[in-house]
Amino acid sequence: MQTKLTGRLVILVAACGLASPIFADTTAEDAKDYRISIMTVLRGHIGATSMTVRGLVDDHGQLAAHADGLANGIAELQYVFQEGSVVDDSEALPVIWEQPEKFAAAIKKAEDATVAFKEAVGSGDSEAIGAAFRNVGMSCRGCHDDFRVAHD
Amino acid sequence: MTKKANRRVAACAATLLFSTLATAATGAEDSLVAKGEYLVHAGGCVTCHTADEEGATPLAGGRALQSPFGTFYTPNITPDSETGIGNWSDEDFVRALWDGVNPDGDDYFPAFPYPSYTGVSRDDALAIKAYLFSVEPVASQTPEHDLPFYMSSRVAAGAWKLSYFDAGRFVPEPQQSDEWNRGAYLVRHLAHCGECHTSRGRLGALQADAELAGNPELGEEESAPNITPHKEHGIGRWSVSDIEYFLDIGMLPDGDFTGGAMGAVIEDNTSRLTREDRLAIATYIKSLSPR
Repeated sequence: MQTKLTGRLVILVAACGLASPIFADTTAEDAKDYRISIMTVLRGHIGATSMTVRGLVDDHGQLAAHADGLANGIAELQYVFQEGSVVDDSEALPVIWEQPEKFAAAIKKAEDATVAFKEAVGSGDSEAIGAAFRNVGMSCRGCHDDFRVAHD
Repeated sequence: MTKKANRRVAACAATLLFSTLATAATGAEDSLVAKGEYLVHAGGCVTCHTADEEGATPLAGGRALQSPFGTFYTPNITPDSETGIGNWSDEDFVRALWDGVNPDGDDYFPAFPYPSYTGVSRDDALAIKAYLFSVEPVASQTPEHDLPFYMSSRVAAGAWKLSYFDAGRFVPEPQQSDEWNRGAYLVRHLAHCGECHTSRGRLGALQADAELAGNPELGEEESAPNITPHKEHGIGRWSVSDIEYFLDIGMLPDGDFTGGAMGAVIEDNTSRLTREDRLAIATYIKSLSPR
């Protein structure tokens, strides 16, 4: 009986170990590099999308993929601003951690804008697509304005 | 028809005429105010004349403009008669824009961009005033400028003006297109792009031979980039569409976004313009000599 119980406990502990998420020991540098990678991906989606939206290139179905990419990347932003990760070439401003509610609201605004953009792309209405992408852009710019080091 | 009936018809006709004229006058006034609102955004009035804090009342002044010559605080330009411009006449307003002089005859410091506004048309100036006088008056006394002793007198502003200021309206260049001329009017005068994007000499005068070639000392630890069509130092690789879209949403051609001082300009000014005006600005900028 005791052997059976011990065996079950061993299986349970092993199963828990397998099912648990792995918490990486993320350094400040890694957190910053990961954040910059996500931003670079977003920048690519935005640059390419804007060219399609402006009619400079044809849409061969890539618009929907970029809309997905934008929505996925923006949805990840809430996880990539690890406290203490303002190192090296990071341009994140301290206000991100000083005013977390304001920052969360800005991220939410961008999330909502990308979800609306996906819907607009799904509708195929070019006017709605242009307007929805403009809102995505304005939400990105608003965030950069308030929470990133000013550029030239 | 009896005399009494005639009088009734005449009275009705007079009422109708008066009502039509009054409606037309109100319509014209509304249209002037609407035009003025557009020009207020095009002219960057909101950005400078609104304090840089959450919930600040637009146009009530108080924004600190840091410069190598000290800190200037923008005035209240709502129609409050005590602390704003409520007592200004049309001529007072036009003279301020064209000649850099306040209603008491004192010279403005060129932190107020009258060297650019001098080119604005009288019609546009009066439309701007009509809009400003249509907003709610706000009683708000803005701080005194924080300047070194040698700048504390308006005499210094007068001396500067004598040395560096030329008054004059914008004159379209007939060999250029209407679009180019509209862009030139906006860039050089109403939108006063050069006030930030052109470097200044030791005494604060814009360097004519470096027009729009960038300004390393914008204040508040910011600089303004070169926006001439130079392929290496400026925006020569940007298309007209890139410039127009940037002015609309603040997106750079590589998908990045602007912020800081230009972010505020996009928010309050250029995103409010018509696409045609943004294209005109882009057309003019693309035509400049690369520097």
